[in-house]
Amino acid sequence: MNLSKILKNGFLILIASLVLTACATQKKVSTGKMQGDVYTGTDSVEYLASGVPDRVFFATNETVLTTASRETLRKQAAWLRKNSNINVVLEGHADERGTREYNLALGERRANSAKDYLMTYGISSDRISVLSYGKERPVDSGSNPLAWSKNRRSVTVKAN
Amino acid sequence: MNRNITISFGLHTILVIITAMSLPFLSKKPIDLPPIISVELIQISDKTSIPFAPKAKKIIEKVKEKEKKLVSEQAPPKKVKKLKPDSVPLPDEKIEKVKKIKDEKQNPKKVETEVKQVSEFEKKELFDTNSIAALIDKSKVESAETNKKLDKITQDQDKNMDFSGLSLSEEDALKAQIFGCWSIPLGLPYNEDLLVRIKLQLKPDGSIIKTEILDHARMNKPGQGFYKVLAQSALRAIKLCQPLRVPSKGYEKWKELQLNFDARQMLEG
Amino acid sequence: MIFRHLIILLILLPIKAFALVEVDITRGNLNPLPIAVSPLSIDEKSKISFEKILKKENIGEEISTIVENNLKQTGLFNSLDKDAFLQKPDIANLKPRFEDWNLIKAQVLITGKVSFVDEKLRVEFRLWDVLAGREMMALAFTTVPSNWRRVGHIITDKVYETLTGEKGYFDTRIIYVAEEGPKTNRIKKLAIMDQDGFNNKFLTLGNELVLTPRFSPTNQMITYLSYFRNLPRVYLLDIETGLQEVVGDFPGMTFAPRFSPDGKKIIMSFAENGNSDIYTMDLENRIVERITNHPSIDTSPSFSPDGKKITFNSDRSKYQQIYVMDSNGKNVKRISFGNGLYGTPVWSPRGDLIAFTKLHKGKFYIGVMRADGTGERLLTENFYQEAPSWSPNGRVLIFYRETKTNSKGEGFSAKLWSIDLTGYNEKMVETKTDASDPSWSSLLSN
Repeated sequence: MNLSKILKNGFLILIASLVLTACATQKKVSTGKMQGDVYTGTDSVEYLASGVPDRVFFATNETVLTTASRETLRKQAAWLRKNSNINVVLEGHADERGTREYNLALGERRANSAKDYLMTYGISSDRISVLSYGKERPVDSGSNPLAWSKNRRSVTVKAN
Repeated sequence: MNRNITISFGLHTILVIITAMSLPFLSKKPIDLPPIISVELIQISDKTSIPFAPKAKKIIEKVKEKEKKLVSEQAPPKKVKKLKPDSVPLPDEKIEKVKKIKDEKQNPKKVETEVKQVSEFEKKELFDTNSIAALIDKSKVESAETNKKLDKITQDQDKNMDFSGLSLSEEDALKAQIFGCWSIPLGLPYNEDLLVRIKLQLKPDGSIIKTEILDHARMNKPGQGFYKVLAQSALRAIKLCQPLRVPSKGYEKWKELQLNFDARQMLEG
Repeated sequence: MIFRHLIILLILLPIKAFALVEVDITRGNLNPLPIAVSPLSIDEKSKISFEKILKKENIGEEISTIVENNLKQTGLFNSLDKDAFLQKPDIANLKPRFEDWNLIKAQVLITGKVSFVDEKLRVEFRLWDVLAGREMMALAFTTVPSNWRRVGHIITDKVYETLTGEKGYFDTRIIYVAEEGPKTNRIKKLAIMDQDGFNNKFLTLGNELVLTPRFSPTNQMITYLSYFRNLPRVYLLDIETGLQEVVGDFPGMTFAPRFSPDGKKIIMSFAENGNSDIYTMDLENRIVERITNHPSIDTSPSFSPDGKKITFNSDRSKYQQIYVMDSNGKNVKRISFGNGLYGTPVWSPRGDLIAFTKLHKGKFYIGVMRADGTGERLLTENFYQEAPSWSPNGRVLIFYRETKTNSKGEGFSAKLWSIDLTGYNEKMVETKTDASDPSWSSLLSN
């Protein structure tokens, strides 16, 4: 093996891979709205009260709550304790990249994840009902990962 | 962000170095070409349309000798080809088989005299050759397709004479004609036994006197509805292709023809 | 003894001398069968009567057109142009001149006659093998004039069965969800139509979300999921009367409903506290039975045609896979093991295969596998498609596809598609509106 040859070819590979990695890094940095697979932006988020977001987001096929979700739910629980006459419906949703019936079950599970967490913060289950919409009511009609991440959600809606 | 780029750069450089060390295009080894084998192209029609007369005498001698030997019906095969039972026989195997059939047809008279001599000598009851023929033909028919090809080889193996009912090119011509006429029903289940055998009696000009579906019992078996459909499609193909592309000479050899319609290859897709 | 052998051998020789030349035909063409469908002949009096009742000028031609279109869309037949027909319908029905039909390359011919007798529609039809020059089948039946479309479908079923060896699927209906509106707020209605797209009717008004309808094997009842009053529950709908009722009294969402093969039970999922399990309810005595009891999501159940087993979708091994169990819930076995997610298993009416939806590397597939999970075959691939439903003869699958939208969310559409079990003949099923969640009825004439 010739050293100069190695260096020459190595240089070519280097240039090529840098070009590729640079592109990848660019995307992540500019949007900053998804972490892993979970939506972290504020687009489409509404507020139950000042500083209390009404929804939490999930990763694909997942129903576990992220740290951010838990923080949101703690805020919701605090607000619900203050307004003890308000009841809520937790609406669970899924993105379109799955079969319809399974998505109905997934939405239900997501909403129940949120409900269970609220209950651990002292909200009575009588005040919380759960409703799954599966993939039927997306909030973003795009067909791309960002749109899908916005649709994987559990939304807390005032019932009265 | 800068930190990320630096780390990325560093790791990539490491990767690059590793790759550079081991990439195949860097080591210039000579390309290994397989040695050139010289192949001679032969015209097969020479082999298949051989005139019989010169060899005939030799062959008849051979037959006489064999008759005198004490051999069982299933003599040890001389040329055993390793056949998978339900594969389509390769062209060269076909030549052997077809040649052997031609052999026998060439010398019916000679052999018959042998038979007469022996039976007189024997003073036993005369075997009805027709009924035995029917029995043997039936046994050929009834044996499972898996054994069909194997039986053929063992039966014929002790004859290595140079006769054939149709030459390879004549057979190919007929096949090509029927391929064009046979509309295989698309709706057939592809994992079932899709073989229909039809026996034909032909006129010298290739038109059909009579057709007979072997395995006739399958036509009305419950659950085998597709067999009837397949058989009907084969019959339509034959009718559509009339007059069949038959050789202009040697009527005696091919006046009775059996066409084996096998749809498996087409449907396995 | 020796002589016996000799004689047998000698006899073999001359017999072999007359052995048949065998030629193997292993190829043919996969062209559709050329078939000529002659318009049904009709006498003047009947013609006038039918025109009055049905507002159709020539009912004989209308019925033969139904037969022709049915056969053509199977992909198995090529119906020849009527303008080339030499024989008139009335003569052709009595004694066709096969040479005339052979001339236009028809291999099979359908002829018939339609008449108005005792206020009823009487039809007789014949199927002819043109090449063999003989009649293959002749049938006659009577029905009310308003059933004239079904007459065409029934004739097709009989012809199809004779020519392919399989039962037909033309005298059937399809129930589906008709949808319109923006993707974020779709208006969905239950709709029913003949399998050839005619006689489309809406069964609900679109005021509440309706999903995943299924036919009862007796064909008069439908089960589906409705969000009436914002409570997603399984309902029963009687097609004749239009009456609806909730199935059972469940304290939470019930969904994914199907009928048992005898039509006596509904099987569905019930979701509670984040867990979905499979339950059945007997329609007569209203007894509810729990079939699965597992913290995973169990849904999309489907009975085998003999009612002894159930295939369903579960994520008990972390991701969506297909399982089979006894109808009492015992002996649960996983049968899908390929790469990807599997869902919507449906057992073929022939009992041999289970169709499913598969998601792998961002693509959706419709496929089939045997009931033990072997022989997985993917039939078609798309950006998004799911929920196959079998034709009653287990030969054709109908499913639905959705299109990708652009960054602005435009360009969304949902349509019904069908494909043959062999992978041939993939085509769209025309509906006026967008459509999803199709389900095929059994043969109406039984």
